Amino acid sequence: MRNRKIKWKFNWFLLVIMIVSLLWLMPLILILINSFKPYNDMIQNFLALPKTISFEKYIETWSLFDFPRLIGNTLIYTIFTVLGVVVCAPMAAYKLSRTKTKYSQFVFTLIILPMMVPFQAYMISLTRFVSMLNLTGTRVGYILVNIGLCIPLATFMIHGFVKGVPLELEECAYIDGASKIRTYFSIVLPLLKPILTTVVVLDTLATWNDVITNQLIVGSKMNAINLQNALYMQFSSQSADWEHALPGIIISTIPSLIFFVFMQKHVVEGVTAGAVKG
Amino acid sequence: MNRKKKKLLLGVEFGVFTFPALGFVLFATIIPFIMNLYYSVFEWNGISQEKTFVGLQNFAKIFTNDALFLQSSIFTLRFSVFFVIIVNVLAIAIAIPLAKDKRVTRVGRAFYYVPYIISLTAISLIWKFIFGPGFEALFKLTDWNFFGWSWIGTPNLAFYVVIIMTVWQNVGFYVVIYVAGMIAVPRDVMEASQIDGAGKWQAFRKITLPLIMPSISICILTSLTFAFKLFDVIMVFTKGGPANSTVSVAYNIYKEAFTNSSYGLATAKSLVFFVVVLMITLIQLRVTKSKEVEA
Repeated sequence: MRNRKIKWKFNWFLLVIMIVSLLWLMPLILILINSFKPYNDMIQNFLALPKTISFEKYIETWSLFDFPRLIGNTLIYTIFTVLGVVVCAPMAAYKLSRTKTKYSQFVFTLIILPMMVPFQAYMISLTRFVSMLNLTGTRVGYILVNIGLCIPLATFMIHGFVKGVPLELEECAYIDGASKIRTYFSIVLPLLKPILTTVVVLDTLATWNDVITNQLIVGSKMNAINLQNALYMQFSSQSADWEHALPGIIISTIPSLIFFVFMQKHVVEGVTAGAVKG
Repeated sequence: MNRKKKKLLLGVEFGVFTFPALGFVLFATIIPFIMNLYYSVFEWNGISQEKTFVGLQNFAKIFTNDALFLQSSIFTLRFSVFFVIIVNVLAIAIAIPLAKDKRVTRVGRAFYYVPYIISLTAISLIWKFIFGPGFEALFKLTDWNFFGWSWIGTPNLAFYVVIIMTVWQNVGFYVVIYVAGMIAVPRDVMEASQIDGAGKWQAFRKITLPLIMPSISICILTSLTFAFKLFDVIMVFTKGGPANSTVSVAYNIYKEAFTNSSYGLATAKSLVFFVVVLMITLIQLRVTKSKEVEA
């Protein structure tokens, strides 16, 4: 009897926690609710649920922005950035952790050095450098910069992971006659899968949500602009157009949310490691 | 001869493996940073062919003759104090009930984490909407003066808007770290204290708090670095306004380069900024290394 009572009380406690946690997301929920209303209704019935669920404003927003191209651009950026990082970072991290020379130590320091330098301390000259190379406003320029910005942390994380991978496996493969390259691809790379997943998740989110780098490198060049930057350009100047801004927020946020729901463990792991060590 | 050849081969192999990564890093961060060093001793508008060498004058100007830089430093310091205290106290308070490895608490933690993984554009637009039309609507509804104030338009209030927004965005991250620290507190110690008759508050203060000290120091340093680097939010949301009341140091650098076209001065400022942030980061690395904390 007593036992049951405790259990019941405990659930109440959890219910309170859930409600409070949900309150934390209230701003986001209010955006969702109001994205279905015309502007007058937002002001009149701010807290109320929409009278009818109509996707009219969503459709208008969709055509206002050329969303297919924006999403296409953002997807291209995400895929190529992740690809670039996943090809370059593990190679370097693996070799650097297995080579014990002064030169190797130096290269490693050079690669992870940017983790100690705040982006804001070199971003002005970065835009300058990119424009000197005639890459301003281009997709290639943005992708190259983005890969370069993601590699230090990725290399650092993979480097730490490789240290825990036993040497014997590689030695066996080498004795069996596999070349260094082959050993890397068929023995080492599969072993790095857990840490690579974290890196992929981290860089996917960072690229999808990026505004600042895109703003600096691409600016307002319409053909290379990404989703978040386009929303920023449209609504940071003329904030009165809430009828289209709210659906825009929801459309651009949904992919991140879905990604988060399915990859929650990796997201939390990756982002936390990134921010604490970075 | 043979040994030389082997050495060369090893060198080539090392190059093949490491050069792609190194190349990208050189391109995106190290070369720009070196350019920064170079430009900081010139007076230059960033466009014209001519640069005037001025030595350390740019640096002298930053500390003696730059009212806006001083103002932005004060803003950044004030913001740091508020942000570090609020975000850490709030995160600990939220973490206490969530520090159980149950499904429900995991979902609760995820809720707090959501703002941390959505884009800055969305976050700034969300809060612009809440503080604008949202408060207008709430004012009509409740008639409380509080909602009638122009939050984004008043210098003093805009400061709190930035605080509220950044705390909302970031608290989930700190909650995760504190929860990890609290779950690691051995259960038998807590039970022993209960048997000895310690109250909940006493147990928290005398047992949990000392045992999560590593998490606390890491969180304080991480939030301090974040606060010093504050830039994205300002650039996307307030743009330093109203009346330059929310210009952070990093945003001041950005404006100096792209709005005022004082390229040399801006690069000099970014070096000063770099040194300050580096010092905090070095302390942070020391602490993180000495107290390995798993998230």
